[in-house]
Amino acid sequence: MGLGARHASRYSPVELLEGDPHLIARIKDLIADLTSDHADLLVAFHRVQAEMGYVPREAVPFLAARFKTTPAMIFGAISFYSEVHTEPPPGTVVEWCSGPACLLKGSMNIRRAIEAVIGCGMNESTPDNAVGLRLVQCDGTCHLAPLVRVEHRYVGPLTVSDAIKLARDLKEGKKA
Amino acid sequence: MATYQELRAAAEEAWRAVVQPQRPLIRVASGTCSRAAGGEGTLAALRGELAARGVEADVMEVGCPGLCFADPLLEVQKPGGPRMLYGHLTADKLPRLVEEVLAKGGNAPDLALGVVAEGTVEGIPALDSLEWMQGQERRLLANCGVIDPESIDHYVARGGYEGLAKALQMSDEEVIKEVLDSGLWGRGGAAFPTGRKWDFLRQARGPTKYMVCNADEGDPGSFVNRNLMEGDPHGIVEGMIIGGYATGASYGYIYIRDEYPLAVERMQKALEQAREKGLLGEDILASGFSYDMEVVRGAGSYVCGEETGLIASIEDIRGMPKIRPPYPAQAGVFGKPTNVNNVESYANVPLVLRHGAGWYASVGTENDKGTKMFSLSGHVQRVGVLEVPLGTPMRDLVLGNGGGVPEGRHLKAVQPGGPLSGVIPASDVIVSGDVGIRLEPQPFKDRGMFMGSGGLVVMDDSSCVIDLAIYFEWFAEDESCGRCTTCFAGTRRLLEILRRISNGEGRPEDVEIMNLLADTMRYANCVHGQAAPTVVMATLSFFRDELMEHIEEKRCRAKVCRGLVRYEVASQTDALPAATDICPTAAIVRDNGGYRVEQSLCIRCNACKELAPEAIEVVDAFPA
Ligand SMILES: Cc1cc2nc3c(=O)[nH]c(=O)nc-3n(C[C@H](O)[C@H](O)[C@H](O)COP(=O)(O)O)c2cc1C
Ligand code: FES
Repeated sequence: MGLGARHASRYSPVELLEGDPHLIARIKDLIADLTSDHADLLVAFHRVQAEMGYVPREAVPFLAARFKTTPAMIFGAISFYSEVHTEPPPGTVVEWCSGPACLLKGSMNIRRAIEAVIGCGMNESTPDNAVGLRLVQCDGTCHLAPLVRVEHRYVGPLTVSDAIKLARDLKEGKKA
Repeated sequence: MATYQELRAAAEEAWRAVVQPQRPLIRVASGTCSRAAGGEGTLAALRGELAARGVEADVMEVGCPGLCFADPLLEVQKPGGPRMLYGHLTADKLPRLVEEVLAKGGNAPDLALGVVAEGTVEGIPALDSLEWMQGQERRLLANCGVIDPESIDHYVARGGYEGLAKALQMSDEEVIKEVLDSGLWGRGGAAFPTGRKWDFLRQARGPTKYMVCNADEGDPGSFVNRNLMEGDPHGIVEGMIIGGYATGASYGYIYIRDEYPLAVERMQKALEQAREKGLLGEDILASGFSYDMEVVRGAGSYVCGEETGLIASIEDIRGMPKIRPPYPAQAGVFGKPTNVNNVESYANVPLVLRHGAGWYASVGTENDKGTKMFSLSGHVQRVGVLEVPLGTPMRDLVLGNGGGVPEGRHLKAVQPGGPLSGVIPASDVIVSGDVGIRLEPQPFKDRGMFMGSGGLVVMDDSSCVIDLAIYFEWFAEDESCGRCTTCFAGTRRLLEILRRISNGEGRPEDVEIMNLLADTMRYANCVHGQAAPTVVMATLSFFRDELMEHIEEKRCRAKVCRGLVRYEVASQTDALPAATDICPTAAIVRDNGGYRVEQSLCIRCNACKELAPEAIEVVDAFPA
């Protein structure tokens, strides 16, 4: 007994808005086995994001209908969680650890330097979306502090100059 | 259906091959920490070398034994020989290791960390003699790095699920009494007695009740729960089943933060295996008790670690905490009575049932029984996860196990257990003629702080407490759910004030305003807002001089606050061309007078000083 069952009476049913039919069809397949009444919305986000790299905004009305709730509830959930993204991911993602061990070992200097080199701020990407920066939380790999992850590969402990070289390579299109 | 004895006998059969290997057995640590340090490369290189040389050996992936500082870790056990642990074993060292240790029958003592358990080897110390191992009481960590976390047989062979089998022979009240008698309290931060919490749920009315495991471990710098889930997942599963039996719950949720994908994978696998063996599902071990559970993967939100936020997140809505009461035992998941415990709390339960409350309470202090896991990070020589009796002096971990701060530095403070917990000044850690603050809840409470969930982030004098306070206040503000103004606006105001101070725009009245804000924030809806000012308050109490220096003299003694320092070329050295090249903003310019820093361009990232330490000087932006 979950969200659907509890909220269905409180909210009027949602009409399915038009999105790209291919996209909606793909998402429909991805979550075919999920139920609307059993704590499955996060699973839906994870599956869609694993497949597409993000949860497209056009999917919101569909998800709302699928989980028997309102688009506002779905979008509210999406915007609440920092690991659910609503934009297509950049070609190369540099994840910058915001945690305390990294902080004490100079991660702020690294952040300023790579932002300057890549030419975008944290949680932004270059205009061509080739490279982007993402703020992430400590995952307990603090023996490598300060660190960044480039496409899930850990790089650390980093000096600022190493970070600048890494960022310059990425900016020039060389995958580090 | 198999009885526990039958399961155990079959498991011991499988485990025998591990304990008495017929050919070399190689354990490769494969926790997130080891993998991050190159462990996957080590594993691939090992397999490649073994194949290339035709060496017959078994390779087993294990969890992290806690020595993250020496990752990647690998252990070799030859038939009839002792287990030898090797550290810092990146892929490039594998050819040598396989050649010397496996092909030629040597020991490569220079790569070895120590001999594990029994046996001695010339030139290699016993692992237990290392500073890292001193004072440890490894109960929860006993399987980490030893068993294959994806093998239920390994867990069972070492006594796993025996506690459950025993519990199922007892009444629900007897199980709860055992847990109460052990003195076990929750390890997630609030230190509430686990047995009492369980009894609330047992007495709650209703056909459907839930067990929830809080594996959100959102406190940055805490990674003890991750270590357990990746290294010994069944201990947590067993603890939850016992809890389900004792409280009358029929279903459970393990809520794991998104940042821990490997833990999600291993916990899911553990559930499948337990189900296959009849330890989950209908009529567990023919006891008539039925219980099952699932893993819920979070999506990146700190307040989902707060129990009511976590429950909301399981229910598919924004994970926003609610005002308590009602407590989860009254109205939890989908409004049903629910028990929420931390990973480590559940993991202790099988030990209590297996060995008895008396055994459990045999370590620790008068008021605080058992062990606690801690993750040590920051400015220490050795970063990793350890387990010590409650009441162990913090000093022992920081200076002994951790090896203290880097050469030439002084301990400044220790930040325990996450953003809401506070900061302990060095003067409370290192006390002449005394052991200093002990790792148990009361001394932290006495200082208006919390011990928290296990993180210990060590700071030396190269760090600035204002900078740290900004970090934690930023974190609290960023993660505030937004339901109550007290919290979201309070954290924002605190952050604004601190940022102003770090930019040289502090005002004398700021101290009073921060005190007022902290007082007001006590009325926030949940503990997130209530405790968000703890770090700032600790700064006001214990680092007032440093704070006042920032406000009144506009000076940061650690030269960290970037609004209070400038980078200057102090002498013209040969290293300056390299410094000029590295500068990401071309702020080092060369004119008639030589090199100088163009202040309007400088972002104070310190790269130039790394390459030209003699030439570049960091000076106060507002000299006296
Ligand atoms: C903002 C906030 C975050 C929390 N995060 C966690 C967490 O990540 N893990 C955890 O076990 N408890 C966390 N707690 C504490 C839980 O609310 C709850 O007290 C705990 O899970 C109870 O389990 P225990 O009794 O076994 O400690 C948090 C509390 C607050 C206020
Ligand atoms: S602080 Fe960056 S990994 Fe822990």
